Amino acid sequence: MENTSFFTFIIDHLGQFLEYTAFANMTIGHIVMIMIGLAFIYLAISREYEPMLLVPIGFGILVGNIAFQPGSEIGVYESGSVMNYLYFGVLKGVYPPLIFLGIGAMTDFSALISNPKLMLVGAAAQLGIFGAYGIALALGYSPSEAGAIAIIGGADGPTAIFVSSRLAPELMGAIAVSAYSYMALVPVIQPPFMKLLTNSKERLIRMKPPRPVSKQEKIIFPIAGLLLTCFLVPSGLPLLAMLFLGNLLKESTVTKRLADTAKGPMIDIVTILIGLTVGASTQASNFLTMKSLGIFFLGALAFAIATIGGVGFVKIINLFLKEGNKINPLIGNAGVSAVPASARVSQVVGLSYDKTNHLLMHAMGPNVAGVIGSAVAAGVLLSFLF
Amino acid sequence: MLKNKLSILKLIVLVVLCVGLRNVNAQSAMDLRINEILVHNDSNYVDDFGEHSAWIEIYNSAFNSVNVGGLYLTDDITNPTKYYIPKGQPITLIPQESYIVFWADNEPDRGIRHLNFKLQESKTICLFDSNGKTLIDSVTIKSPQKTDVTYGRLEDGEAKWGFLEKSTPGANNDTKPKVSEADKFVKFDPSGIGMALIAMSVVFTGLALLYLFFKGLGLIMTKEARRAEKLLKISSPGVIKQGLSGEVNAAIVMALYLYGNEMHDQEDPVITMTKVSRTYSPWSSKIYGLRKSPR
Repeated sequence: MENTSFFTFIIDHLGQFLEYTAFANMTIGHIVMIMIGLAFIYLAISREYEPMLLVPIGFGILVGNIAFQPGSEIGVYESGSVMNYLYFGVLKGVYPPLIFLGIGAMTDFSALISNPKLMLVGAAAQLGIFGAYGIALALGYSPSEAGAIAIIGGADGPTAIFVSSRLAPELMGAIAVSAYSYMALVPVIQPPFMKLLTNSKERLIRMKPPRPVSKQEKIIFPIAGLLLTCFLVPSGLPLLAMLFLGNLLKESTVTKRLADTAKGPMIDIVTILIGLTVGASTQASNFLTMKSLGIFFLGALAFAIATIGGVGFVKIINLFLKEGNKINPLIGNAGVSAVPASARVSQVVGLSYDKTNHLLMHAMGPNVAGVIGSAVAAGVLLSFLF
Repeated sequence: MLKNKLSILKLIVLVVLCVGLRNVNAQSAMDLRINEILVHNDSNYVDDFGEHSAWIEIYNSAFNSVNVGGLYLTDDITNPTKYYIPKGQPITLIPQESYIVFWADNEPDRGIRHLNFKLQESKTICLFDSNGKTLIDSVTIKSPQKTDVTYGRLEDGEAKWGFLEKSTPGANNDTKPKVSEADKFVKFDPSGIGMALIAMSVVFTGLALLYLFFKGLGLIMTKEARRAEKLLKISSPGVIKQGLSGEVNAAIVMALYLYGNEMHDQEDPVITMTKVSRTYSPWSSKIYGLRKSPR
C-alpha cells in the first residue's frame, strides 16, 4: 500500500513537472521563433552582420520562446520576473538615451562640421520615415502604429525602440527586430537603389577633401546642436541631449574617463540588456501575426525610400552647386543613421567605380547628420501622435 | 566700447529672463486646482462614515506628485489658515494629474479629509500655500446650487466652470469619449501627406539651422587659420608645413580596416612580447595601504 502510494506520488509529481517543461507548452510558433533566433545568431557570427546587436537579440529570441507555464514569474511580460525588470528599461525608454550617450561619445562629427551642407542630406533621408508613415496608414494601421513603424526608416535601433515604446508598445518587439535586421542588411538593400539613381558621371565625382576642424568647433558643435535642435523639437530631448552630452564629454578632452565609460562599458552593458530583452519580447504569440509581417514589409520600404530620398536630394542640390563643389550622390544613402554601415556602403560602391575615390570620410557627414535627423524626426512624431 | 558690450550683454540676459520667466511652470503646489464641489449632497458620494456631506475635489495638474500637506483650505478669505491640512500623511500626496476629495462637514475629528467648515452658496473657497498668504486657487460658489449636481471645471484644471452632467469625485470631470491626438491628426490628414510635409520641414529647419551656424563658424575659423598660417610663414620663412589630405587619411583608414578584417582570427606564428606600460595611479597603488616591514 505504502509502495503503491509512493509510486503514485512520484508519477503524479513527475507528470506535474512535465507540465511545467517547455516541451509540454511548446507550439509551432515557438519553434518558428527559435529558428528565427538561430538564424540571427548564425548571421551574426558567421556573416558578421551587426554581431553586437544580432547576437543578443537572437539569443533573446531563444530566451523569449522557451515555452513555460504562465504565472511562473519567468516571462518578459510577467510582472515581478527578472526579465520583466530588465524589460522596464525598454518599455520606459531608459536604454535608448543611454545608448545615445555612448554613440555621442564615440562619434566624430568633424566630417559634418567641415562640410555642413551635408547636414541637409541627413535631413532628406528622413523621407523614408514619413513615406512609410503614409503607406502604413493606407494599409490600415492606426496613426500611432503607423508612426511607430515608420521610424524604422530612420535606421536607428534605439530611436525605433524609444518611439515605439511610446506610440505602440505592443508592436515594439517586431519594430526593433525589423529595424536591427534591416540595419544589418544595409549593404544588401541600399546599393541597387544607389546604382539605379545615379549615372556613371555622377558616381565618379570627386569631392573636395574635408578641411581640418579645430577643437573649438568640435566643442561648440554639441552645445549648439543641442540648443538649435531641442528648442525646435523638445520631444527629442532625451535622445538628442544624451547624444550631444556624450559628444561633449569626448570633445572637451577634460572628461576622458567619462567619455571612455560612456562609449565603452556602459554602452556595452546597455546593448546587451536592450538586445536580450527586445529579443525576449518577441514571444511567438505576440510576434507571429500579420501585423508583424506588415512591419517587416514597411521597414524594407522605409529603408528604400530613405535611400532614394538621400541620393535624390544630393542630385537636386548638385544642380545648384558649382563644378568642383559638387557632392557625389553615392554618399546620399548615408543619410540614414545606420552608423557606420551606410557610410561603408558608400565607400564600397564608390570604390567599385573608381578604385581611388574614397568616399568614406565624406559619407560620415550625412551619416552622423542622419543620427541627429532621425532623433528630430522621432521628436516630431511624438509631438503629433503621442 | 567695453561698457557698450556689457550693456548689450545685460540686455540679452534681461530678455532671456523675461522670455524664460513668462511661462515658468513650477510643477509644485501652485499647480493644484479646486476642481469640483458639491454643496447639497442628498444621495451623492458617501463619506467613510456613511454620510452624505458636501465635498471639495482638488486636482493636481502637474506632471509630478504634489503634496497638499501643509496647505490651507478656507471658506473665508479673511481667515486664510482656517483649515490646516496636516503634513506627513501618505494620503495627502497626490500623484500626477490625480485628485483628492475633502469632506466639508465641519467634523475635523473624523480624519484629515474632514474640514472644519461646511459649504455654503455664494461663499468663496480658497486654497492657500503653506505660508498662509499665497493664494493658490479659489472659487466662488454660484448661487443657487442644485441638489446632487456638482459644480466644477468643465475640463480638469481648465478655467471654465459649470454644472457637470455627472458628478466625478476623484475622477476626470470630462466624461465624454476622448479622441487621441493621433486620431485627431489623422482625421485631417488621412494620407499622411500633411505629416510628411510638416515633419520634413521641421527636420530640415533643425538641420538647416545647424548648417547655417556651422557654415558661419567655418568661415570664421578658416579665416583665423589662414591668418595664423600667414603669421607662421612670416615668423619662420624656411619651414613648409603640409598635412595629409582627407583622401589620403581615408585611404589609410580603409586599408587598415581591410587588413584588420582579413587578419581576424588567424593565428600569427610570431610571438611578440611587449612590456605593458602602466600609468601610475594613486587609486591602484598599494604602497599607501601597506605598512613598512619592521626591521
